[in-house]
Amino acid sequence: MLHRTEGVVLRTFPFGEADLIVTYITPDLGILKLFAKSPRKIKSRFGSSLEPLTHSRIAFWGKENTPLPRLTQSDIIHSFQSVRNTLSRFLAVSEMLELTINFIPERDANKKSYFLLLNTLKAIEDNSLDNSSVIPLENENLFVSHFKIKFLKFAGFSPKLDACGRCGKNGNNFYISHGSILCETCARGIDYPIRISPAALKLYIDLLTWDISKIRRIKPSNMLLSELSNIINMHIKYILSKPLRCRDFFSFHVNDLTN
Amino acid sequence: MEQNIIEKLINELTKLPGIGRKTAQRLAFFILTMSEEDAKGISKAISEVKEKARFCNECFNITENEVCDICSNTVRDRSKLCVVEEPCNILVIERSKCFNGLYHVLLGALSPIDGMTPEKLKIKELIRRVEKNSLQEIIIATNPNTKGEMTAQYIRDILKPYNIKVTRIAYGLPIGGDIEFADEVTLGKAIEGRREI
Repeated sequence: MLHRTEGVVLRTFPFGEADLIVTYITPDLGILKLFAKSPRKIKSRFGSSLEPLTHSRIAFWGKENTPLPRLTQSDIIHSFQSVRNTLSRFLAVSEMLELTINFIPERDANKKSYFLLLNTLKAIEDNSLDNSSVIPLENENLFVSHFKIKFLKFAGFSPKLDACGRCGKNGNNFYISHGSILCETCARGIDYPIRISPAALKLYIDLLTWDISKIRRIKPSNMLLSELSNIINMHIKYILSKPLRCRDFFSFHVNDLTN
Repeated sequence: MEQNIIEKLINELTKLPGIGRKTAQRLAFFILTMSEEDAKGISKAISEVKEKARFCNECFNITENEVCDICSNTVRDRSKLCVVEEPCNILVIERSKCFNGLYHVLLGALSPIDGMTPEKLKIKELIRRVEKNSLQEIIIATNPNTKGEMTAQYIRDILKPYNIKVTRIAYGLPIGGDIEFADEVTLGKAIEGRREI
């Protein structure tokens, strides 16, 4: 049966001599893995439409429960080439792709996550094309943090940072093992708290509630953004039982260039 | 139950890329009609390549000696180094007869999402070669896709302190292709990289 939908390429995996297995996120089928015949050949009709981040209209053929349907057509809607063009920008975005692959189940529609990814990519691209933004990397970190916070909410893994996860009272210490802030009474006997500043908490609530179009109005300090990012990254690492691979490489690369 | 010898050969041949069961069957029956000398030649060549093939100590090309024929060739231009992803890329570039310098094989491309980090590639060895030799130009000929482009940019960044000319092979349309069927990214790159004639 022929299916038609749209999707964003998350990753590709070489298969055989010149074939690829392409992982898409689609609005109506969630994560979708498709088999593409010979796209690695120079004269392939798929051209650059299977490169990561490409938003395209796709058609694929396969029975309903086929694990790997065959991709028959892929027309680019938007390539996000300017995001792919810069290593640091692409590395920042790769974290979003890795998060999506790890959290969204296959063949399970998740429109909110799909449009969140698409809108964040558009915002990052607009930011990169806008000459007035002198510090693109810092803005991208803000966009990526916004994506992570919203994405965790849509995936049902949001950390509870606004009040104690047990009794609802106020608190300033975040406990990774509980994915939540705990007040002094509830935290008795639990080790390793991470102190969270009121400013970081305010930033978290802003990022959680504000739309991507308004995010550029927020100008948090690097220290504040990195405080919040660290907590979110630790929370993700705890849920996945492993760190995001792109996160480690991104930090390494940025440190390497700045030193 | 033990397999018939023909069946066994067919099964072994299907392990090769691009060979399905029908092709394997055709090849197996062709091997049966071949002279014993030719058939043994194929078998010997396969065993030899598995026994003797190793990576060149300099460039990580496939060779049977410590240093490959290209690295040991004194006629080649030692001021230019072409960086490729896989040893098979060297064969293709050599066939073009457009490059007379040396090569460096990375044995992969960067892809943090798949766990391919710089430590897993031969990037440290590339830096060592840059430090040791008086190179004038490094041509990055990684694949024209996102992983290849990321690798190229990473190498460019990492080689900045050495003040060496780093170039990237051109993007564009394949010869014999038709503009009508080109996608916008490839065509955009071809227009960006246009040259005066």
